[in-house]
Amino acid sequence: MHGMVSDIGLARAGPMSGEFEHDRLIEAVARDRDREAFAVLFDHFAPRLKAWLMRSGAAPAAADDFAQDAMLTVWRKAEMFDPTRARAATWIFTIARNRRIDALRRDNRPLPVPEISLAGPEPDRPDDLLEARQDEGRVRAALRSLKPDQIEVIQMAFFQDLTHAEVAQSLALPLGTVKSRIRNAMIKLRDLLDQPVGDPS
Amino acid sequence: MTALRRPSEERLLAYAAGTLSPPQSVVMATHLAMRPDTARWVGRLQAVGGEVLETIEPAPVADDLLARTLASLSTPEPETPPQPANDMTELPEPLRGYALGPWRWIGPDMRVRDVLAPRDGDCRVILLSIGSGRTTPVHSHQGVELTCVISGAYETDEGRFGPGDFEEADGEVHHRPRTVSTEPCLCVVALDGQIRLDGWIGRLLQPFVRL
Repeated sequence: MHGMVSDIGLARAGPMSGEFEHDRLIEAVARDRDREAFAVLFDHFAPRLKAWLMRSGAAPAAADDFAQDAMLTVWRKAEMFDPTRARAATWIFTIARNRRIDALRRDNRPLPVPEISLAGPEPDRPDDLLEARQDEGRVRAALRSLKPDQIEVIQMAFFQDLTHAEVAQSLALPLGTVKSRIRNAMIKLRDLLDQPVGDPS
Repeated sequence: MTALRRPSEERLLAYAAGTLSPPQSVVMATHLAMRPDTARWVGRLQAVGGEVLETIEPAPVADDLLARTLASLSTPEPETPPQPANDMTELPEPLRGYALGPWRWIGPDMRVRDVLAPRDGDCRVILLSIGSGRTTPVHSHQGVELTCVISGAYETDEGRFGPGDFEEADGEVHHRPRTVSTEPCLCVVALDGQIRLDGWIGRLLQPFVRL
């Protein structure tokens, strides 16, 4: 991983990084406009948002602006956070994903780009809502069972457009190999996740 | 070869990660609006993004960034601009948010209009309407072309594409879609570069067809 990213799915635990801690902080922002709760979230997520945009090719100052902008959106949209659907990191990722398209776009016309809903996709079966939060843990468990090279391409896909040849170059792999590695990783992930909840894996 | 009729895994992942170009994202969002199951998969991929964010090596931010951010918390949210006029109520939600250019004639029973969505270099979004039984001139693509069928259906050598179906065609594909529905086939397309029309008819048409 070029020493830049720790192994996906392996971090976690520790009382302060407990996933529910951050959920409660976002709820405190939504309910009480709690600036202290916001500052704790900022200290955790802003450096990660900055790192993420820099891995996408942004300069440090631009990545600072981006982190600020994304955290401001966390403050403004906190009421939309629903911990039964997603954990804090996932919800903040979606905010950042939606903002990044604007931050990195090549044209400067202010036309909107379609966004992924912060309320999550509409459940089409009643069970889906119950499953949504459990899904988060299953996604992380599934990631852990991928091969290291598959984890690497998935991580890289979250930084840069892997359908472009430069990324293949930075991995020193042919573009076709990168694409097939992504496909294999995603098919494995689908296989792992399409198992019904409670089905022993 | 059997048609996939849905986006490739790498393109879905690029959309989930937010690295897909804006015009391609418009076509992808249209497809997801018509395919809730695939939209749910993109939702799951957000959890992968959350894990990437959680496990990335943090980059320390500027010392005063928190203070600056706290100071700006009370600035009012920028107002979202009103939705532009859009005369096609039959379009899926992601396309309703854009103004549309005038319909242009490109051949018998064949019309095209611009979707005034963000461009990316030469890549832009168009709506294409091809009448029943009509075949577009054989053409090939300079870049990747993404298509989502909104209504009607067309057929290529790869198979039949109906409402919600998604097709990725690259520079290798020589494409000759034919409308097989009784109604016209309406598609949204992210077009990269100019379409090259093959054959003598195509060469005759090329000077008149601005695609």
